[in-house]
Amino acid sequence: MGAWGFVSLAYGIVWGAILLYLIVLKRRYASAAAELAALRSAEVTSSDVER
Amino acid sequence: MALLRQTYLLLCKDLLLELRRRDSLLTMFFFGTLLLFVFHFSFDPAPDKVAEIAPALLWLAFLFTGTLGLAQLFQSERENHCLDALLLSPLDRGALFLAKTCFNLILMLIVEIVVMPLFWILFNLQTWNLLPQLFLVTLLGTIGFCVLGTIMSALTLRARARELLLPLVLFPLMIPVILATIRCMENVLRTGEFGDATPWLRLLLGFDVIFLTVGVLIFDWVIES
Amino acid sequence: MALAAIAVGLYWGLIVAPPDAYQGDVQRIMYLHIPTIVAAYLSFFLVFVGSCLYLWKKEKRDDILAYAAAEIGVLFTALVIVEGSIWGRPTWGVWWTWDARLTTTAILLLIFVGYLMLRSLIEDESRAASAAAVLGIIGALDIPLIHMSVYWWRTLHQPPSIFRPDKAPWENVAWPLLIPLTINIAAFLILLFYLLSLRYRLGEMREEIKARRLDRGG
Repeated sequence: MGAWGFVSLAYGIVWGAILLYLIVLKRRYASAAAELAALRSAEVTSSDVER
Repeated sequence: MALLRQTYLLLCKDLLLELRRRDSLLTMFFFGTLLLFVFHFSFDPAPDKVAEIAPALLWLAFLFTGTLGLAQLFQSERENHCLDALLLSPLDRGALFLAKTCFNLILMLIVEIVVMPLFWILFNLQTWNLLPQLFLVTLLGTIGFCVLGTIMSALTLRARARELLLPLVLFPLMIPVILATIRCMENVLRTGEFGDATPWLRLLLGFDVIFLTVGVLIFDWVIES
Repeated sequence: MALAAIAVGLYWGLIVAPPDAYQGDVQRIMYLHIPTIVAAYLSFFLVFVGSCLYLWKKEKRDDILAYAAAEIGVLFTALVIVEGSIWGRPTWGVWWTWDARLTTTAILLLIFVGYLMLRSLIEDESRAASAAAVLGIIGALDIPLIHMSVYWWRTLHQPPSIFRPDKAPWENVAWPLLIPLTINIAAFLILLFYLLSLRYRLGEMREEIKARRLDRGG
């Protein structure tokens, strides 16, 4: 492997890993946000019922 | 001082329990000896090479034996909810830490005092005169091990896969101690005196003092978890 | 703002790569390596701070910070090791060497992987938080000792097959290289804070979810 090969390997792995983590984070974020929204709206409706 | 008195009381309790049943002590001793045998078969060292790897093998054996002891450390407290009772009492948590550390230390020292000469016999080493110095190094290293080990043992008390987690968190933290003890021992075996290895001794001492203090201070939070 | 941070990071990284590094192109990995190290160390410093604050004040947000910083710190540290390994291959001919810095970084990684495992293996959340905080503090305190002992090991005790790469090229970084280096460090720090804020908000949301679930259940 020439020098540029190593450089691109390094850059590739690093940015790939960071991107991967970012994607995973965003997915978890989205699902957590969805769940939170569901819980919040359920709360609103139940408190409506109480009144 | 109340701290020391409490430590002493707790320590006596543990020692009495151990004296009656001796299960920890015997298991540790036999395990340590077993490891020596396994190491001898695995490495099959030529007579002139033995002195080179002896410190490492010895210390590895103690490390694994000690980990066994650590897993058992809070066993008596876990049964019968003794731990909750202890925590409800106005006991200084630092005393609990010191008592447990000393207890494990005493167990390990007893095992080491027997296993080290055994090692010398099994591996046909001639340097009997160096044992006292080597034992000093072992003592300092074992103190470091017990101090950190007690903290980790308490931390992982309620974790799943505890037997696996304990070594996993403990061993990386132990690396200064491992390096220092083995290098020191190597130097002693090679030159017959501490000499160049004195910085390692100081590191060990520093390590012990630092984490002993940290342990006493931080054990409140450790035992909460 | 989020996308802007990433864009800035990538852009600077690629733009400054072209300015030539006279020690051979492999030297360019440094533009990746040093910023990653800086980001990793900063993360672990945050773990230490978060752990101390959490034990002292018991506020959830410090614990969330510590957890977030640990996760990201582990990611960056693992990357540091990979980068170091890749840099090592063409420079010294081996994929791995037990030199002081690389070894200490590997140990650092092990300690904080242990931290993450401890967190995930303890069932009770508040217990997991305090336990992890203690581990975080002890780990951070141990790092200087580990660094010292590994360094002594490598300088006082020479094994027969000596291989001592002088792994401090950045101590003599020439002026023209400093600029792209600083830019890249800045870019990585922006990236770090972006990841941290994301992960932190995730942690906050998880806390709220748990709290609401408890409310509903009770």
